[in-house]
Amino acid sequence: MFKDLLRLELFPTMWCPGCGIGTLMSQVTMVMDELGLDHTNSAVISGIGCTGRMAGYMNLDSVYTLHGRTLPVAEAVKMVQPDLKVIVISGDGDLTSIGGNHLLHTARRNANLTVLCNTNEVYGLTGGHAGPTTPKGAKTISTPEGAAYEPLNLQNLLKGGSTYFYARTTVYHQFHLRRCVKEALAWPGFSFVDITSQCIENYGRRLGFKTGYEMLAWFREKYKMAPDGAESLGPFELGIVRKGQTETKDA
Amino acid sequence: MLVQGNQAVFLGAVKAGATFFAGYPISPSSEILVLAAEHAARNSVFKLIQSEDEIGAVNAIMGASLAGAKSFTATSGPGFSLMQEAVGYGHQVEIPTVIVDVQRVGPATGMPTMPAQQDLLQAMHGSSGDYYPLVFYPNSVEECYRYTILAFNAAEESLSPVILLSDAFLGHLIETVDLEAIPVLYPPGIVWHEHNLDLDLVVPGGMAPLEIVSRQRPPLGTGQRAFTGLTHDWRGQQRTADAGVYREWLAGVKKRHQEIAGNYRFYEYIDHPTSDTLLIAFGIVSRVVRPLASRFAIFRPISMAPLLADELREYGRRFKNVVVVEANDGQYAQLVEWALRREVRRVPLLGGRMNIPLIEAELGRMGIGEGLSV
Ligand SMILES: Cc1ncc(C[n+]2csc(CCOP(=O)(O)OP(=O)(O)O)c2C)c(N)n1
Ligand code: SF4
Ligand SMILES: [Mg+2]
Repeated sequence: MFKDLLRLELFPTMWCPGCGIGTLMSQVTMVMDELGLDHTNSAVISGIGCTGRMAGYMNLDSVYTLHGRTLPVAEAVKMVQPDLKVIVISGDGDLTSIGGNHLLHTARRNANLTVLCNTNEVYGLTGGHAGPTTPKGAKTISTPEGAAYEPLNLQNLLKGGSTYFYARTTVYHQFHLRRCVKEALAWPGFSFVDITSQCIENYGRRLGFKTGYEMLAWFREKYKMAPDGAESLGPFELGIVRKGQTETKDA
Repeated sequence: MLVQGNQAVFLGAVKAGATFFAGYPISPSSEILVLAAEHAARNSVFKLIQSEDEIGAVNAIMGASLAGAKSFTATSGPGFSLMQEAVGYGHQVEIPTVIVDVQRVGPATGMPTMPAQQDLLQAMHGSSGDYYPLVFYPNSVEECYRYTILAFNAAEESLSPVILLSDAFLGHLIETVDLEAIPVLYPPGIVWHEHNLDLDLVVPGGMAPLEIVSRQRPPLGTGQRAFTGLTHDWRGQQRTADAGVYREWLAGVKKRHQEIAGNYRFYEYIDHPTSDTLLIAFGIVSRVVRPLASRFAIFRPISMAPLLADELREYGRRFKNVVVVEANDGQYAQLVEWALRREVRRVPLLGGRMNIPLIEAELGRMGIGEGLSV
């Protein structure tokens, strides 16, 4: 049962009603359950943020690291315990902004980790400041005139090396989300799943959405599956791009 | 045989059972990274990450420790500053590990790589919040080895990152040490990986053998624990708005650190039958002032934190003048003043220069030690 992977005694969670993180957690634990991943063979490393709190709700050894520092911790854990499945779950701000340098280099070193990035396009926990994944023009509390810059192109960033695994999905597309997580967990190297989800309280409302459901409906409308075998995902395309399933240093 | 200070630190770490090093190059600490890389190349059990920066390195040693490895990193002032957030993290999460800071003149890039002792207060209070670190500062190549082992032991016992201070002179100092005979005892039942260590050091006559303290906590991946930098209760459950939980936790940690630090109070005292002046010096500066023992008493703290307040009072009260000679602008002197509750004299050796004439000139200006011949 995937519920065995959750600390139900700590529920209700700290997340706002309508937040996408709960969906993400249940989907991820379902996949883990299906694959037989639990406290005897896996560890979760999370960063700081609303998303980072997920680690504390999971019923296995977890490390809630400093803001941005999931990847150095996770890479070291994997080196010391090569048989452990090391899963990193964190927010987009945590992984790509303050942790951006680690992301570049941990990917370059092809550390055998699965990174699940909750891309809610904002710093949720701190109240909704813009971050590197905030779309140009989006109004947030720190960009009252709309975000001034293009967001990071994570796909291009991570496709720089000779081997990579990048998947883009959303919490609306649950079947696809589970497939992406499953394949990422099976990838014998650095795998990154970019999961769009809704932060209704500190982002969606300021963009005019009234409920989390409205944001999900928007994901359904906006995001489309990439054609089979696509080597690159276009804007708002969901899918998996990967290359060079080679042996990794600790595979 | 001839051994360098940085090399002795590395050998001590391996002797203590370290199997993980992460670091980012910075003089004058880089030899330790290079030695670790060579060691990792020869021993598959020893893991190494040359990190993208010192923040990556220090967080990697935290992860490695949680995963069950004794881990360490080495850096110098600028890198040590980058590591500070994780020092507090290690205290909050209770992670045993060792951080070596081979000091150079700062602030910022400063004078690479002239020696200094300017990271003393940073080593004690560089991270946010209240925490009670153990900090050691050896003064010879042999001591670099010995106190690295003790730093690993203190880390295991206190469940916290322990800081080993060194400096550009000490790190690059090459001394003849007898490497055959320091008895190092491993606890029974521990299986040690073959490290092909061909070096060993000697305990000076009469000193007890160093007993290696082994890891107590089961490694990551064997339980259902939440290791968190948030204030938490004993179950690892976050308690971020409860002053009672916080106070109880901090008081417990403080008490435990004080008790453990009680077993790690290291210092040296050289008496002088007639002098009215006590010189206080540590690390490489204590080697520089050593010839002045013919004219003054000398107190050398090796355990820099927690402060050896009782010992400072015990020896300090016997002397009319207390003079702290250190390669910074009075960082230890202000702590000594607090401990003694009286003014002490300062001889700051700044800019990487330290020698007897410089110190004598300063003492002369204070009217200390005049009329006494060396
Ligand atoms: C060093 C540091 N800087 C800033 C913060 C404050 N902070 C906490 S969470 C956060 C951003 C979280 O955003 P994200 O990673 O996107 O997670 P989300 O809350 O959106 O899930 C920030 C800036 C911190 N905890 N530590
Ligand atoms: S602030 Fe946003 S991301 Fe955080 S719990 Fe609320 S809805 Fe979710
Ligand atoms: Mg976010």
